[in-house]
Amino acid sequence: MEIKTEQFSEVAKKTLENAQSFAFLKLRANFVRTRRETALSTFPDAVAAQAYGAAIRAEAIARLPELLEEFEKNALANGARVFWARDAKEANEYIVHLAKERGIEYVTKGKSMVTEELGLNEALEKNGVKAWETDLGEFIIQLLNLPPFHIVGPAINIPVEKVRDLFLEKVNLKEPTLDPVQLGYAARLFLRDKFHRTRMGITGVNIAVAETGTLINVENEGNIRFSKSSPRTQISVMSLEKVVPTLEDALHLVRLLCRNCTGQKLSAYISMDNRPKKNDEIDGPEELIIVMVDNGRSKIYQDRLARHAMRCIRCGACLSSCPVYRQIGGYPYGWAYSGPMGQILNPLLLGLERTQDLYRATTLCGACKAVCPTGIDHPNLFLQYRAKDVLGEETFQGKKRPPMERVFFRVWTWAVTRSWFWNRASRMVRPFINKEAREGMLRRVRGPFEGWFRSRDLPAMAEKTFHDRWEEMQKVEGRKTEARR
Amino acid sequence: MEVISLFIPCTVDLFLPHIGEATVSLLGRAGVRLIYHKEQTCCGQPAINAGYREHAKKAAKHFIRVFGDDEKVVSPSGSCVGMVKHHYPELLAEEPEWRRRAEELSLRIYELSQYLVDIRKIENVGASFEGKVAYHESCHILRGLGVSEQPKRLIKAVKGAKLVSLNAADSCCGFGGEFANHYPDISESMVKDKVEDYLSSGAGVLLVSEPGCLFNIGGFISRNHPGKKVMHLASFLTENHKTMNNTR
Amino acid sequence: MKQSARDEILSKLKSAPREAVPHRSDRPVLKQLSLTRDELIEMFSKYLVQETGVVYRVRDRQEALEKLSQIALEEGLKKVMAATDDIVASLNLVDWGKKNDVGVMTARDFGSRDSYIDAVFEEADAGVTGADFAVAESGTLGLTHHKDRPRLLSLAPILHIAIVPVEKMVAVYEQAVEKVFREKENLPSQFCFVTGPSMTGDIRGVQFKGMHGPRKVIVILIG
Repeated sequence: MEIKTEQFSEVAKKTLENAQSFAFLKLRANFVRTRRETALSTFPDAVAAQAYGAAIRAEAIARLPELLEEFEKNALANGARVFWARDAKEANEYIVHLAKERGIEYVTKGKSMVTEELGLNEALEKNGVKAWETDLGEFIIQLLNLPPFHIVGPAINIPVEKVRDLFLEKVNLKEPTLDPVQLGYAARLFLRDKFHRTRMGITGVNIAVAETGTLINVENEGNIRFSKSSPRTQISVMSLEKVVPTLEDALHLVRLLCRNCTGQKLSAYISMDNRPKKNDEIDGPEELIIVMVDNGRSKIYQDRLARHAMRCIRCGACLSSCPVYRQIGGYPYGWAYSGPMGQILNPLLLGLERTQDLYRATTLCGACKAVCPTGIDHPNLFLQYRAKDVLGEETFQGKKRPPMERVFFRVWTWAVTRSWFWNRASRMVRPFINKEAREGMLRRVRGPFEGWFRSRDLPAMAEKTFHDRWEEMQKVEGRKTEARR
Repeated sequence: MEVISLFIPCTVDLFLPHIGEATVSLLGRAGVRLIYHKEQTCCGQPAINAGYREHAKKAAKHFIRVFGDDEKVVSPSGSCVGMVKHHYPELLAEEPEWRRRAEELSLRIYELSQYLVDIRKIENVGASFEGKVAYHESCHILRGLGVSEQPKRLIKAVKGAKLVSLNAADSCCGFGGEFANHYPDISESMVKDKVEDYLSSGAGVLLVSEPGCLFNIGGFISRNHPGKKVMHLASFLTENHKTMNNTR
Repeated sequence: MKQSARDEILSKLKSAPREAVPHRSDRPVLKQLSLTRDELIEMFSKYLVQETGVVYRVRDRQEALEKLSQIALEEGLKKVMAATDDIVASLNLVDWGKKNDVGVMTARDFGSRDSYIDAVFEEADAGVTGADFAVAESGTLGLTHHKDRPRLLSLAPILHIAIVPVEKMVAVYEQAVEKVFREKENLPSQFCFVTGPSMTGDIRGVQFKGMHGPRKVIVILIG
């Protein structure tokens, strides 16, 4: 999928100017937030439940290599195949090869963020294999050639009129309608035909269980179950960090995932796969192939702090709680992952240089950290990325900052450690800052401050700083004490 | 008599010194003796936020030198207190002696309302105000320090004041330091929402405990809704009702 | 000799800085474990009905068949595809079908996978299966898939009817998973937790049932 992380501000501006999008985001955020809180309250102790989720994921990441080996051993013993791919090229080439080898004309796909990372659909189509996205939201954005707006509802912002027109044109919709239910049924009929005749299904993996070699998918629509049951070949694409130690761990995470993601106790379907179908089964895959994708994760794993980002279970609660996301929606983040989730992942996967805005366009308010069921400290990660960028750190392609900024901080540090200079310098700079002060307020200050002053005033620098006032107060006290004597 | 060392953040020192004065006045009423280290400058937040950790370390060490021997340190800024408590120890993690000093200091530093209510057990500071007020929950104070009840108790104890609910009170106002200047479209949209929530709350005054939020919300109000009032909690509690437009 | 992708990836992971496995506090308690069977049945029904599922309770197989007749009338069922698992087999649906003018197919009727798939997609008005578990905590069915309970029966037809003896009622998912995954050398190819009909909210957040899977789920609890 095309990477547009460098167009963050432009795209954000467009969304802010789109009044309809804007209004929708506001309503949506409140609704989702309430629903999530209600769902979490079904835990006897929601805080403990979230903390336990964090503990599971922390262990999973700490023990990653051994858990992956255990998972692979069990999956192979069950009869699955495991293919390891270093990067998108290897993964895509392998999957294309599997499809060509089997004479596959089209595949049905369950929603999988890692396959969007890989650009798998494009690779398949380049090689003459059509990839049908079957999750309703993904199906719509595939037809519209748009990126996902939100990880849970990729097309949720698309006006119904647009969906109607799209379906009239491309989905055999017979009668124009603005009823989402009728539109949904049109998609159901259209895609049902694909499920019926599909010979290869490709899905992601929500959780991989090391102790049994089990793959777990979580969904409401049924398209993933179809993609794993109807065709003879099942390909499950998983990125390294999806593994957890035990089935018990997996179940706890599934409870957290469903509540945090869609405000449900449980999604309609939790399907747990161990192996291809047994010989006497009439449906199900004859071959189950697991594609284990690295694509930058083993590199991230080298950094003990950055690797915390790998705990993420893709629930999307951070998106719904983020005050910035709530203003701009998913498009500005420019890639497969958006919102705070994208802000911690995209820089590590794409490099810090081309994702500058992603870890800077945040107020560090901490709303994401507060809701995360895997205990990720997003604000801290953003600060880490900024520090790596300043250092021009090679592993993550830090860029090094503009010279003026570096000079500024050198001077600032010198001043901050010498209060005599700090105080004198503020006095010196005051007339310049206050040049256009009126009635104690500044409407403008020359320099790189245009962003602030566009819509805000600032108080003028005080004639007497607190330092000065304290001195005065002490003198007055001193005189009072004198007078009393 | 308890001795309190005043930590007046650079934002207050240079732009909003009346908040420093209000802090002095409040703590005076709480029966403590105040000291103020003239060598204090800045907690280092701008550097750490910009990713300049080596520079931030220098600021941190200066701060620890200045405040390190104080019994207790109190500040009218939650973000600065948060900086010291949460960031100094990890910033100085590789220098065990500095790290130890940072950890010790982090146990002795408080945000103003936190200090008054939790440590001094004071809720009624003897102030009065007729009318409705609303309180904006700054991110660093609410989520960073876990402080929310304390400011509200102080407000409710003000004679005649009625604390009304503010829609999305815990939602970020859009300041975020450099964020407001670098991402003005988004920041403006956020502060606009915050101000709309204030205006529809029915409150005559919006109270804020964080200088950064005050700059942001107050600055927007000064430009766009000049008649409306927003002030720091300390000002409100000392009836030193200097709003952002009148700081002399 | 170039290192395989597997070995390269694993060795990179293994040579990364290690960290101590963080200590875990006790697993949060599952409060439903203390409920009686009747309370579990009540909870199961309540949650499934919230998801628009329909729950009938009958005393025995005879009543179950009567209930099926009623459902067949109400839903206008002409043909159904039935599992041959122990529960459904004990109902002798083929006979019932003859008496009620409903065609009852099973996977065994088909000589090929493809012809079975055609039928389950295009001819069956309903899929009738048993269930290995009914999980009270969220009104969820637990279905193991095997030769007598093919996967598509509970997925392709627009109506899914599940016959569940009350002995299958459990409080939490763990109780189901423990049993299903007990024998590591003999795991089922797939096990599913199914909670109500298929659904989506992907168009403007407007939720509706029957996206790709069944639009309606009816559970007949026996006992």
